[in-house]
Amino acid sequence: MRLVAAELVQSREILPRQWLQSYHAPELATGTRAGQFVHVRTGDYSGLVLRRPFAVNTADAATGIVSIHFRSVGHGTEWLTRVRPGERLEMLGPLGRPFEIDPRNRHLLLVAGGLGMAGIRLLVDEALRDGRQVVLLFGAATTAEVYPSSLLPDEVEYVVATDDGSLGHRGLVTDLVPGYEAWADQAFACGPPTMLATLARLAASRGARLGVARLGRKRGGGRQPALGSPAARRRAFLQVAMEQTMGCAVGACLGCVVTGVEGPQRVCREGPVFAAEEIAWEPAG
Amino acid sequence: MKARKRVTTAGATGSRPARASDRPRRTPTVRTVRSAIVPVDRRPRPPIGGAPQSPGRAASAAEDRGPAVDLSVDLAPGRGGLRLENPVLVAAGTFGYGVEYGEVVDIQRIGAICSRGTTLQPRVGNAPPRVTETPAGLLSSVGLQNPGVEAVLERYAATWAGWRVPVIVNIAGGSIEDYVAVARRLDGVPGVAGIELNLSCPNVARGGLLFGIDREGAAAVTAAVRRATELPLMVKVSPNVADVRPIALAIEASGADVISAINTLPGMALGPDRTGPFLGTGYGGLSGPAIRPVALRIVHEVAQVVSIPIVAIGGVTELADVLDYLAAGAVAVQVGTAIFADPALPVRLADELAAECRRRDLASYRPLVGTALPRRPGAPSARGVEYRP
Ligand SMILES: Cc1cc2nc3c(=O)[nH]c(=O)nc-3n(C[C@H](O)[C@H](O)[C@H](O)COP(=O)(O)O)c2cc1C
Ligand code: FES
Repeated sequence: MRLVAAELVQSREILPRQWLQSYHAPELATGTRAGQFVHVRTGDYSGLVLRRPFAVNTADAATGIVSIHFRSVGHGTEWLTRVRPGERLEMLGPLGRPFEIDPRNRHLLLVAGGLGMAGIRLLVDEALRDGRQVVLLFGAATTAEVYPSSLLPDEVEYVVATDDGSLGHRGLVTDLVPGYEAWADQAFACGPPTMLATLARLAASRGARLGVARLGRKRGGGRQPALGSPAARRRAFLQVAMEQTMGCAVGACLGCVVTGVEGPQRVCREGPVFAAEEIAWEPAG
Repeated sequence: MKARKRVTTAGATGSRPARASDRPRRTPTVRTVRSAIVPVDRRPRPPIGGAPQSPGRAASAAEDRGPAVDLSVDLAPGRGGLRLENPVLVAAGTFGYGVEYGEVVDIQRIGAICSRGTTLQPRVGNAPPRVTETPAGLLSSVGLQNPGVEAVLERYAATWAGWRVPVIVNIAGGSIEDYVAVARRLDGVPGVAGIELNLSCPNVARGGLLFGIDREGAAAVTAAVRRATELPLMVKVSPNVADVRPIALAIEASGADVISAINTLPGMALGPDRTGPFLGTGYGGLSGPAIRPVALRIVHEVAQVVSIPIVAIGGVTELADVLDYLAAGAVAVQVGTAIFADPALPVRLADELAAECRRRDLASYRPLVGTALPRRPGAPSARGVEYRP
């Protein structure tokens, strides 16, 4: 974690009001793992008192470029869209804990809802680099909001669902999940809380449905690692990247908590990635 | 939208100022004061290595030349002392237990660290979401989440004892007995330099009336804690009263060494669909630049009635704010919300204060204190400065 001056290299609106910005920040490009985020200082400090957290969307150590993907929804993100190439912003990062892939797993199921793509995009690169197979399920309201496949590596199998059926499956992205459950060794997701809660329910009942409930014991044996530890997360079938409004992003203010089964969990420090079983999900309804 | 041509980074480095530096800023009270918000392209690049950085020190390297300025202040000279190397503290709840920012801030150069609010028993705090930005402000409702005083000391006291920066433990409770029990537990613990009483807590014995808005409650809890500990005692007043002066007087009379002012103001933000509040608890505490004029007024009021030192809190973001609070009668300030945007701010403000003193040929910052107080003969002024031994 450090304060880094990041210079804007490229900024473009890839979807209506959704922006992809690349920054030259070698310190971040080399040290960031999928799931981690940066806390970006906006310029108009007298009015906008907080930094803005963004998942690192891509990180290329060779070029020193990191990218962020965001929707222009408020004063801070609007300000960000007006930054020009060559200008430098101050970023604090990399922050938070990353996705933990079990090294033995070959088949990874990634699920993104809308802007959740921003939180999962880097994991695609990480998984492919290590020679794993990736299926990426993506859900959006309509075609106009579907993340362009041109921005994804060719090796990924990209499956789309839209609420209105204008592209791909008509309905929720979570409808597609059962079709891949048997294939997948591990799943990773980022998106709206309701989507994540549905995935958590599916993951909890998956063992029983597929008859693989004993898988964990067969592999690890012996003592269970502590809930929330990297080892426990590696063993979890489903990991989710959560979002919450933040103050400090370093664990100091306790502003960013979500409710976990063992009490409040800081998204900036214990997260943003959690194993699904760490979170106290709202009951369906 | 068409993709923009790539800018080669080497050629563009440092070539153009960031937008932020082009726009006009709030006119500082002291015109020659350099803004505390240094545009990013004028700031030194952080080192590539992992060592803790000290942007504040680097940013003012030019001003470091010249005669030494005495920024030290003793907030509790009567009681063993609470000596700070500079008058810029960090506010409770915004800096955790001091360890969280260690990787990016040279914390030993902070005047003092006020810890997160600590209670006798562990508290899980309020339902999320807990923070949201409002115009020039932050609305928060953490609900005093903390592991309880025992766990806090177990985890952090030994670390604090090794620090040069004093740690003042901010304490809270639902009853006088709670406060007293926490204070007793802190008394004599190496690493604990003082106590700050957060009075913005409901007093269960008085039907949930906040200690801080009830003169008797404030006096009783201050007196009880005073009896329980020899530690320097700072008492934090709430702004949510019609007249803070009788409460400040009662706190002083009950044995407080210092008054800190102010805590947050209650506020509300709605959720995106306007079907209810944004925050999990409904209402939250407002902090940040939005509350600065309120805090300035309260510091100015309290400074005219008490003779113990005052530490100002509320929306400090630049040197001009520090100078304002000093002029209104405070001998020190706490920085809270602004740390989230600029973790190095407290250290930089101390450096900028020293530079300002040098510019004015002052050997210490004390002549800056109380200059905005009424000059009636005999009227109590910024007595805090006179409390140095
Ligand atoms: C997230 C957050 C948590 C806080 N927690 C505490 C606390 O535990 N005890 C306390 O006395 N004040 C607490 N405060 C109040 C601050 O210490 C300070 O009085 C207030 O934020 C005003 O200063 P500022 O405008 O510089 O932030 C908290 C403020 C914030 C924003
Ligand atoms: S944002 Fe401050 S603790 Fe996470």
